[in-house]
Amino acid sequence: MEWTKQIGRYFLVMLLQVLLFDQLQLLGVCHPYIYILCLLMMPITLPHSADMIIGAVVGLIMDIFCNSLGVHTASCIFIMFIRPYLIGAIVNDKDRLNEQITLRTLGMEALLKYTVILVLAHHLMVFLLAAWSWSHIGFVLMETIVSSLITISIIIGYNTLRYR
Amino acid sequence: MQNLLKILLRYSNFLVFILLEVAAFLLFSYNNAYPRSSILSTANSIVAWQNEQIAEIKNYFRLRSVNEELAAENAALRNQIYSMDSATNREAIHYESAKVVQMTTDQLHNYLTINRGSVDGIQRGQGIRNAEGVVGIVRTVGKNYSVVLPIINTHTNLSCRFTKNDYIGTLQWDGKDCRFAQLADVAAHMVVNPGDTIVTSGLSPVFPEGIPVGIVESSVLKEGESYHRIRVRLHTNFKRLKYVEVVQNANQKELEELENGMD
Repeated sequence: MEWTKQIGRYFLVMLLQVLLFDQLQLLGVCHPYIYILCLLMMPITLPHSADMIIGAVVGLIMDIFCNSLGVHTASCIFIMFIRPYLIGAIVNDKDRLNEQITLRTLGMEALLKYTVILVLAHHLMVFLLAAWSWSHIGFVLMETIVSSLITISIIIGYNTLRYR
Repeated sequence: MQNLLKILLRYSNFLVFILLEVAAFLLFSYNNAYPRSSILSTANSIVAWQNEQIAEIKNYFRLRSVNEELAAENAALRNQIYSMDSATNREAIHYESAKVVQMTTDQLHNYLTINRGSVDGIQRGQGIRNAEGVVGIVRTVGKNYSVVLPIINTHTNLSCRFTKNDYIGTLQWDGKDCRFAQLADVAAHMVVNPGDTIVTSGLSPVFPEGIPVGIVESSVLKEGESYHRIRVRLHTNFKRLKYVEVVQNANQKELEELENGMD
């Protein structure tokens, strides 16, 4: 039951990403990738390698829609790799985390830290790979900061509305 | 042996991570190095179909401007018929109309997808233009859809010339503003004024000669540099691109084979 809900959410968020957020072209620097919400909120009960494979599949689907083969795949695998270590570093008793990772199970401060670090890592990697040169580094950083701000606020907002 | 197995098991997560990342980067480099592959791209039917549906919805919000564009395009086409000179006729140019179903304008590597593919005779390397001017070059061909590399992509180079004295330059894009591109390789001795008209050079079989590209917005010659830095205002409005034409040159293959045979 829990997992059907998770998969349903994947579908919804991917649809939102492709139909709405990929269509936004604000100021030229704003490409929020909100689809990683699902990856971030997945429970950490699965084996680590299974987590990474799920990340790879989700990233690959995104890549097909974005014409950017490999970019999202690499970034998603990376955040799924560092996720359990990050959780270990910011949460003391991991026993609470048998459910999915939400505001309720993590608390505001830890959730903020967790979201900010992972979203920044993912977005920076996506934009760096997509640019594939250091000559646009200023533009890439700007793009990362603006887009991350929007993604982070959407993820935190979703959590406060749904899991207060 | 047992120790080795133990170590492998201990670091199995890290190994999976490395393997997956290597696979992702292989995909990435494959896509960068062999852009002609049509696997997993918007040239694929399902993704392109979804893009077309979105484009359909968006269409309703801009019917008025689309109508105006169509009227203007009609006029331009009629003009083209009258002004067709013998030079273009000899090149056996055929225009195939197509609709843009997906497009980005605000990234470093912008792409657009059109609803024509190999079924309609589209081939890699054919030029794309619209009534306003040059749009780009076909990069990936699927069965019913194709992906186009527009001139507003930092990978694109396009040979252009000034109408006033036939001087040749290379059009590139710096990734910043989709209304402007840069013209490189124009030597310092050449006089460049704002307002000079730039058209395609006709040196490659991709575009016939004289398709409008843009006008010079500003030109800077820095002390000690031997080339101008020229900013070109593009004629094509990529933000509102909707209908385009594929330039099909019947002799393109022969010309390319001849050129390749020279090496």
